[in-house]
Amino acid sequence: MLTTKTFLKKTKRGNILKIVREHYLREDIWCGSALCDKCPMSEPVLSENPESASELFSFPHYIVLDTCVVVHQIDVLEEKTLCNVIIPQTVIEEVKHQSSTIYKRLKDIIGNPGRNFYVFVNEHHMKTYIERQRGETANDRNDRAIRKTVAWYQSHLASSQSGINKSERVQILLLTNDGKNKELAAKEGLCVASVREYIQSLVGCPGLQDKLAVTEPERDGNAREYLFPPHLPPSLIHDGIKSGKLLQGTFYASRENFLEGHVNVEGQEKMILLQGHAGLNRAVDGDSVAIELLPEDQWSSPSDIVLQDEEDDPGDILDDRTEALSASRAASSERIPTGRVVGIIRRKWRQYCGILQPSPVKDTVRHIFVPAERKIPKIRIETRQSEVLASQRIIVAIDSWPRHSRYPSGHFVRALGPIGDKDTENEVLLLEHDVPHSQFSEAVNACLPKLPWIITDDDVAERQDLRHIDVCSVDPPGCTDIDDALHCRFLDNGHVEVGVHIADVSHFIRPGTALDKEAALRATTVYLVDKRIDMVPELLSSNLCSLRGNEERFAFSCVWEMTREARIVATRFHKSIIRSRAALTYEQAQLRIDDPAQKDAIATSLRELNRLAKILKRRRIENGALVLASPEIRFQVDSETHDPIEVEAKKLRETNSMVEEFMLLANISVAEKIVEEFPECAMLRRHPEPPVANFEPLVKAGHKLGFNIVTSTGKELAASLDEAVLPDNPYFNTMLRILATRCMMQAVYFTSGMLQPDEFFHYGLACPIYTHFTSPIRRYADIIVHRLLAVCIGADSTYSDLLDKRKSHALCHNLNYRNRMAQYAGRASVALHTHLFFRGKVQDEEGYVLFVRKNALQILIPKYGLEGTLYVVPKKGEVATANFVYNEEEQTQKCGDVTFRSFDPVTVQLSLDRSNLQHEKLVLKLVKPVIPGFSVPSSDEPIPMAIDEQDGGKCKDGSVVDTVSQKNKSSPSKKKRKK
Amino acid sequence: MAGMLLSEAEKTFILRGAESNFRVDGRKRLDYRPMELETDVVSHASGSARLRLANTDVLVGVKTEIDTPFPGRPNEGKLEFFVDCSANATPAFEGRGGEELGTEISNSLSRAYQSSYAFDLSTLCILPGQQCWKLYIDILILECGGNLFDAVSLAVKAALHNTRVPLVTAAAMDGAQVELHLSDDPFESKRLDVSGVPCLVTLCKIGDHCLVDPTAEEEVCSTASIVLAVSENAFITSVFKAGVGSFLPQTLHETFKEGQEIGIELNEALKAALEREEKEREDNEKSPAIQRYGFLK
Repeated sequence: MLTTKTFLKKTKRGNILKIVREHYLREDIWCGSALCDKCPMSEPVLSENPESASELFSFPHYIVLDTCVVVHQIDVLEEKTLCNVIIPQTVIEEVKHQSSTIYKRLKDIIGNPGRNFYVFVNEHHMKTYIERQRGETANDRNDRAIRKTVAWYQSHLASSQSGINKSERVQILLLTNDGKNKELAAKEGLCVASVREYIQSLVGCPGLQDKLAVTEPERDGNAREYLFPPHLPPSLIHDGIKSGKLLQGTFYASRENFLEGHVNVEGQEKMILLQGHAGLNRAVDGDSVAIELLPEDQWSSPSDIVLQDEEDDPGDILDDRTEALSASRAASSERIPTGRVVGIIRRKWRQYCGILQPSPVKDTVRHIFVPAERKIPKIRIETRQSEVLASQRIIVAIDSWPRHSRYPSGHFVRALGPIGDKDTENEVLLLEHDVPHSQFSEAVNACLPKLPWIITDDDVAERQDLRHIDVCSVDPPGCTDIDDALHCRFLDNGHVEVGVHIADVSHFIRPGTALDKEAALRATTVYLVDKRIDMVPELLSSNLCSLRGNEERFAFSCVWEMTREARIVATRFHKSIIRSRAALTYEQAQLRIDDPAQKDAIATSLRELNRLAKILKRRRIENGALVLASPEIRFQVDSETHDPIEVEAKKLRETNSMVEEFMLLANISVAEKIVEEFPECAMLRRHPEPPVANFEPLVKAGHKLGFNIVTSTGKELAASLDEAVLPDNPYFNTMLRILATRCMMQAVYFTSGMLQPDEFFHYGLACPIYTHFTSPIRRYADIIVHRLLAVCIGADSTYSDLLDKRKSHALCHNLNYRNRMAQYAGRASVALHTHLFFRGKVQDEEGYVLFVRKNALQILIPKYGLEGTLYVVPKKGEVATANFVYNEEEQTQKCGDVTFRSFDPVTVQLSLDRSNLQHEKLVLKLVKPVIPGFSVPSSDEPIPMAIDEQDGGKCKDGSVVDTVSQKNKSSPSKKKRKK
Repeated sequence: MAGMLLSEAEKTFILRGAESNFRVDGRKRLDYRPMELETDVVSHASGSARLRLANTDVLVGVKTEIDTPFPGRPNEGKLEFFVDCSANATPAFEGRGGEELGTEISNSLSRAYQSSYAFDLSTLCILPGQQCWKLYIDILILECGGNLFDAVSLAVKAALHNTRVPLVTAAAMDGAQVELHLSDDPFESKRLDVSGVPCLVTLCKIGDHCLVDPTAEEEVCSTASIVLAVSENAFITSVFKAGVGSFLPQTLHETFKEGQEIGIELNEALKAALEREEKEREDNEKSPAIQRYGFLK
């Protein structure tokens, strides 16, 4: 028989459609009972004589379950006690709709043949299908359908059992927790009981009662309640901002706590805190939002906990973990302005890289996408190719975030490649950091000079010929884009002449060409561990502009005459032709300096340069320049597979500092020159002094160990950092400097005409004016500075954009953005390689506690420059093995007689958690100090890593890693299903 | 209708019949042929009706969709008529043959519905200035047996009467987007008020007399006809003349009067029929067999 189902559906575009589906009813759906003599089944599921263990219902019976029983008492159902259960299809559908995890668990139970669970397709059975009636809610209709099923079974089986004694006949028992349903069922003459009554009446299984879920939230009729408060319409936002009731700013999500974020409101020193789902109100990192400040008594402070959205899809429910948030509310002294998002002014949605979260339900088209960037919420997408995509990195775009949805909804854009593959991961981090990395276009390549490139007579006439001077370059090993070279010679008047020669990139990149535009867009060369994303095509970066040894190259020279005490007497700038005598590495240069036997021109000039550099450096530090630290490491990479083999911290030699000093000097000299000539449009670089508040964590940390860190001026800060030394903790000073680095603001490019001269100050270098001149091959800012300087000395002509301070300002904006992203991409690349390095390894490493959080310790491992989180509070569902007590005031975690403070040395075991193949994580476990039940025994020798690429990381999961993966609950792998 | 060929004798016969108030099929000048009407014949549509007037067969479906109101009329919804002349009706409609006629009918309908007395568009408003319902009224002409205008207008009114607009229980702004909350119960819906909706009455001039509901043959004999849109409460919301002939002011005035009276009667008859059908349906709902004729009759 054919009938139709009619329902309304909202489409993605917001339209409402009336949908009519054909619905077929049949008579040949069998009841599944071995008792039945009417249904011709080959393998009945329900047994012939279901024994009753219940005192209340002593007759044999089959049980029919209600939806809410399944949803809330799934733990009870998973026990083996309840057998011979009929699950109507109505219930299955409802469960699937409400929670995919419970649906999966139910399916597993049904798949177990020992349990005698039978799914009765009541919705397609002629006798049990019912239509929704006028005025009936969907839930009422489903309850009625279940009751109808019970009644049908009752009468269906009764006729097969007419020969049996009445008290021994199998009856049907409906279990429901819905009071109304129970009442109606009783009225219709059905056997009915609540789960609690039934379980309590069972003889011989007392343990089961404990498993009963105590509170059962009322099932509300309308499942699609709104989760979020509405956003205001644009006109109201506009008025609100105008009248000052609302504030406008950029939203930054917290990386550590997905329920927290900040809004940077222009003109306000402190960021405004946002907390909780309602507070964030669907803002995504980077969005321009309108916020409303909460009254002061509702202000809060950033919570100390590290919170990640790790759950499987819980459906459209929000739990704010209020206990976590409200706890932090107590400390009133640290409250900061708190607000909530009332509207979105402009979405900054882009495309996001990430992976699919494994879905508990097979063959579903709705999936959850987990972005690689932790600041971005998970995204709901629909895809039919989830099996293929499950092992791939994919790109997804957000479409909308409706009020009733916990996650934004989006769509699949494209797949990048298999997860864990290095090329894919590289691609991911380039995309995530918005690094333009495509091939250079034809138009760009057309701007390149033709090979063979020769120096013409005209060129010689325009430039100073310095080919006779002994110039050399000093760079890191393997460097092919050499953009600076040095020389030094003694003058007859007792002074020295020092020259810094910078590749003349602006000679090749003419303003307005496609090449120039592309370089301006890229803004910087991005260095990844195993890859370099060039700003200009390779012909320029590694050949024509690179000041290679023994090749004639164009340079822009900055030549000083200085006294032997490194006082500048005169400064000259000119375009030149040079021939570098040698392209040295830092190490080679150092050797030449240190080897007294070498007496050639290069060695002597290097020695003199080194001597001068030391004077310059001392003078600079006396002025209050900061020496900061950030953990930097280098990977030794396998030459064929490009897999990291060994990690080492970057070594710093004297020659590093030597080159640095002269580059600083050149930059300062150039900055002074161009700002003198172009006070309105010189491109400079400044480093603003950080606000006092930024230093709070540093001062606190120092204070706890008895050091007074003075932050009022850079000079005092430098001095107090120098003094803070703990003899028994040699790394302490470095850690303090790392902390200090984090307090700093970002140095930025700017146009001189946009700021007052006293704002030009560079805080870190302690100099009043600074720019970038020395690396034009890899930074676009330097090219602009070259052009400006060339105009100053009459070597080149100017053009309108160069002198337009607005355009220049916009350019600075892009340069700053790209620079920041390049920096992040570099760091991400290091992190990626650290992961690759740790594949299949378990290693004990010395580390230090950097921060103490409420539920975790932040550990810094200097050897790898790595920062990781050591959770001290177990994750949901795990049993605490040790009790940690967090002291908020002293910032300590205490467990038994072991106390963790910031800067305490610890030994941790590092391993890569690959149990979740999609998302590898570095796992830290405590080794020392020993806490029984929490720390792990030290792994003896690190398992050597196979370098053969064939089986990559796949078979390297040693046994040690296995134990790790067991502990971290991962999503259950696919189990066998019922055929 | 085009394509129908009548001999001179036949034409004279029809003309004389009109003069003596005794038409070919035995009707008087102002008599309609019997009609059959059934609503809710298309389950996919929000409202539908099928009308058969002797050999004229019309099917109307109403679809609801969400749209943004016109900027100048923020509080009003939209109506759109579309007439599809099926090639089943006459071979002349094949290809684009029926387009001209279709446009003529849809234009006449939109003109008739334009008056605010005819149809209150503000009932279709969901959120002023933001969202409204747009009704797509699709008219399918299955067979042509004369008097298309009247038949179509009656079927449209019946279909609108039958239309169930989904019930929006809440509408709120979320940023620049509108969030709608739909009623969960498919039985809950909004009905449209069709009491003011006009019917078209065609008065066909044959000789010196006007007659209503012309057959296809009579249409060929007519030189001109007046189409009036008359609502139940006697408003004439639009008038237009079809055909090449002309009317004297005196006859025109009388024609209006006649048309108005017929229009009122027609509206009332339709209303009664629709009410009767609805009542029967309600009674039937209680008994299991729901009787519906659809296209089987």
